[in-house]
Amino acid sequence: MQSCILYLLKCLSICLLSISLPAQALTVVQKIPTLSLTAEANYMAGEQGKPAVLILHGFLTTNQFHTITSIANFLQSEGFTTLAPTLTLNISQRRNLLKCNSLHTHTMARDSIEIEHWVQWLHAQGHDKIILIGHSSGSLGVLEYLTTHPNSPASGAIFTSLFYLNAPELGILDDEVESARMLLKNRINKPSTYHFLFCNNQYYATPQSFLSYLKMDRSYTLKALNQLTIPSYTIMGGADKRFKKVGLNWLNALESTQTNLIVIEGANHFFSNEYEFDVQDTLLQILTSPPLKEPES
Amino acid sequence: MSLKSYLIQPVKVYFTALLIIGLLMLALLIGNLYYQTQSIQTSLQQKNQQQAQEEMSFALEENIINLTSNLLELAEWDEIRQQIEDPTYYYFWHEDRLKDSPYFKNHYTQLEIYDDKKWLLMPPTTDNSSDDRLPLHIANEEPTVIFTSEKEAFLHMFEPVFEPNSKTILGYIGISVALHQNLLTEHEFAFVNPDSIRFIGTKPITLSELGYYVEFDPITNSVSNDLWQLINHFTAYVIILLIISTVLIVILFQMLFSGPMQTLSNYIHQLKKNPKDAIEITQEHFLIKEFEELKHSIHDYHRDLQTTQHALQTQYKLVWEQARRDALTNIYNRRAFDEAWNELVATFEYNPSNITFILFDCDFFKALNDTYGHEVGDDVIRITAKTIQKSLASEYPVYRIGGDEFAIILTKIALHEAFGIAKKCLKSLKKYNFSGIGIKEKLAFSVGISHLEHQMSKNLRDDLLNLPRQADIAMYKAKQSHQQKIQCYKSQLEQESLSLVSSQVINTIVDAIHTGQYINMHLQAIHSVNSDTLYYESLIRIQKEDLLIYPSDIFSVVERRRLEVEMDTQIIQQMLNAFQSNLIPQNTGVSINISGKTLLQPQFTELFQPFIPYLKDYKIVIEIIENTLIDHMEYAKTVLNTLRKQGFLIALDDFGSGYSSIRYLAHMPVDIVKFDMSMTLALDADEKTKNIIFATAKMVRNSGYDLVLEGVETEDMLEKAKQAGATHIQGYLLGKPKSIPSFT
Repeated sequence: MQSCILYLLKCLSICLLSISLPAQALTVVQKIPTLSLTAEANYMAGEQGKPAVLILHGFLTTNQFHTITSIANFLQSEGFTTLAPTLTLNISQRRNLLKCNSLHTHTMARDSIEIEHWVQWLHAQGHDKIILIGHSSGSLGVLEYLTTHPNSPASGAIFTSLFYLNAPELGILDDEVESARMLLKNRINKPSTYHFLFCNNQYYATPQSFLSYLKMDRSYTLKALNQLTIPSYTIMGGADKRFKKVGLNWLNALESTQTNLIVIEGANHFFSNEYEFDVQDTLLQILTSPPLKEPES
Repeated sequence: MSLKSYLIQPVKVYFTALLIIGLLMLALLIGNLYYQTQSIQTSLQQKNQQQAQEEMSFALEENIINLTSNLLELAEWDEIRQQIEDPTYYYFWHEDRLKDSPYFKNHYTQLEIYDDKKWLLMPPTTDNSSDDRLPLHIANEEPTVIFTSEKEAFLHMFEPVFEPNSKTILGYIGISVALHQNLLTEHEFAFVNPDSIRFIGTKPITLSELGYYVEFDPITNSVSNDLWQLINHFTAYVIILLIISTVLIVILFQMLFSGPMQTLSNYIHQLKKNPKDAIEITQEHFLIKEFEELKHSIHDYHRDLQTTQHALQTQYKLVWEQARRDALTNIYNRRAFDEAWNELVATFEYNPSNITFILFDCDFFKALNDTYGHEVGDDVIRITAKTIQKSLASEYPVYRIGGDEFAIILTKIALHEAFGIAKKCLKSLKKYNFSGIGIKEKLAFSVGISHLEHQMSKNLRDDLLNLPRQADIAMYKAKQSHQQKIQCYKSQLEQESLSLVSSQVINTIVDAIHTGQYINMHLQAIHSVNSDTLYYESLIRIQKEDLLIYPSDIFSVVERRRLEVEMDTQIIQQMLNAFQSNLIPQNTGVSINISGKTLLQPQFTELFQPFIPYLKDYKIVIEIIENTLIDHMEYAKTVLNTLRKQGFLIALDDFGSGYSSIRYLAHMPVDIVKFDMSMTLALDADEKTKNIIFATAKMVRNSGYDLVLEGVETEDMLEKAKQAGATHIQGYLLGKPKSIPSFT
């Protein structure tokens, strides 16, 4: 009951803020020369002194995904500068969700390049303190970026709904992986359908693309978390259905890393409904408080 | 109201006409219904066609809008840009991804991506040579409709792919749409029959022209079709019903009306053809009671009619016999003779044969009558008739054609046979003992025979008609002879009797009598003794150029040639002309002499009918000679009284010239008695004779008749005539006969 009243109050406050903050987010279009692609991101400048937050969407979605827009809008309302790019997934100025059966040629590495480009862009805009927020596989993208770009100007990372991608319990089939690897080895980059995440035998991708994401297995992820040089937080929904596949011990595994694990009990993978505000509160608290855990230097 | 003859037609004609009119009216009604329904059907078809046309136009338009919209969505699809930017996996994407995506529609036969130079992004994977395939290069971005030889139409549409938020064209997409399939899948046609949609073009056309190249049939309106079928069935049923009804009506009409009427008509026709026969009633029975009753009524009526007719015939026969039988002798009379003679004349030309005409006459019969009285005279007539008839075969009847004159007509026998018959008859008469009836003298009979040998005749009809006259001439000759009491006619007999008259006179007289030419009527005044009034006796004269013929010669020829009726007819006509031409002086009158033969003509009274209008201004007297009147007293009474009632006066001419019987004097049908000239002359005779004349004149006057004395030529005679009691005087003393034209 109390949470319901609180939810209503927050809704009201957001509406009022929306009215009082007529500023519109800008669509920033950027050519990424190394990728020969043009990418887009929604940018909203915040208050001076507050960190700029890059919010990265999850698997195959865009910056218009409701979890992302919810976080971005909230942070903007709190005076934070936000930048929500849409990963091109090898489609310039991609606007729409990619389907499982869309042709997937994008790779984790190319995603990292795009993230780097946006981080640098933020930095170039004069934002010294840049916090990276990822949702779901976007969290893995941020994690891989931070892993592969140790000199990133980002000063902190917040991972939401962080899982790993490659594991039999997640539906990855060994023979498919082996087949992809063989194709790649033979330089046959012919697209095929794979079992990947929620795309059961529908994920239509090149072997290179498919295998690039399988890099993010359980151990690699945990290891990457531990290797981060900046403070990180991980916010997990206590009722995320993925726990049915990966097991709740994933929380323990996360707990065991450097990341500051926050579990919002009852929340699902997308922090929908009233849990949207819980995650917002958590994010606000994280962004306005000193880190609980400092990375080991 | 007069009825046109062509309107009278057999009942079948009217029935057929009515039937045809009825059928025509029904046919008109059904035809009209059929036509109206057909109009509605046509109207519905037109409406269907119009609705189908509108629906098709709408479908095409909507399809184009949808296709354009789809194409625009496609152009904005991220994956299109993905392929333009990196077509490495184009074929895989095209085959595995594109066709599973919601952007690819079933009616797209092809979807291809072109680069910004309008060339296909990748070479075609399938055969691109067919007409319906998208081109390798976009020559024209406008939508184009391509027709194939299989009568299919494909719409090629192209749409540029822009860079997001920019007008930079990255490339193009092109789709080929199977229009037929597209129309069928995208539309639920309500008015267009989907199976009928066909495209008829051959060369590529623009989209705006597509409407002209699509053909289709409207969906037929099932209600209308059912209705139309219903009407057709109805019409067929009505026609069948009409035919059956017509046949039934005709059969019924034939059975009920026409048949019975025909039977009755035939029956009546038979009755008409054979009115005297007893024709059996038809055994056929009629369904209609009235016809059955009519049949019996006709039969009964005919039966009754026959009975009545039979009775009438019997009656008629009786009357006929009575009319043709002489009451005195019970042999055939003059009327019967005339009819028999006329029939013979009428049939003679067709069935010619030898004809013999025999006349019998009792010599000095009038003297006998006067001497022994009429009863004895009548007995003589009866005996004569009976004796002649007995001497003849039953096939030859004897006719009493005059007072003591009998005639026999013999056929198919030779003259000598006829002569023998006549001789036999005369012998029987001679043998007869007339003393039994008190006649002391020996009676003599004269017989005249005329014979026609038909094979010798050149002019059958004229020769036949001459037979009575010739027999008369022969009998006249017989009368003159004491020994040869049977005379056969020979032409020299005529010559003998006319020997004193020149042939020129004879010819002129005969010609005048037949033609009326040369007759010059004269009038001699008859003066009233007691007043100044007078009237004229018409006297015939014949004048041809310088030849003037007087009555003595005229009568001689007329009597010998038996032309009395013809002459009287001419005189009557001449006098009628005189009246009509106002040649008769006013307040006078005319007397006309009529022979005995004319008096006996059936049409005698009719001869004087034209004079009736003149009776009010003129005195018209018909003069009959004494002998004629007395010989035919009963008949003359009837005829003359008829004329008297009409206003004519009758004069008894030549009184005293014959065997005048004083006993008739009181009952004669006359108004005037004219003394014969011999009696006028007798006024100068001895005293005894003079006294007889005076006494006779007194009797005449006492009987109430006017008395005319003619032949008065001296003053002395005039005085004596007045003394005798004459009411009128005629003679040269008072005026000679004058030609009628001299009166003007």
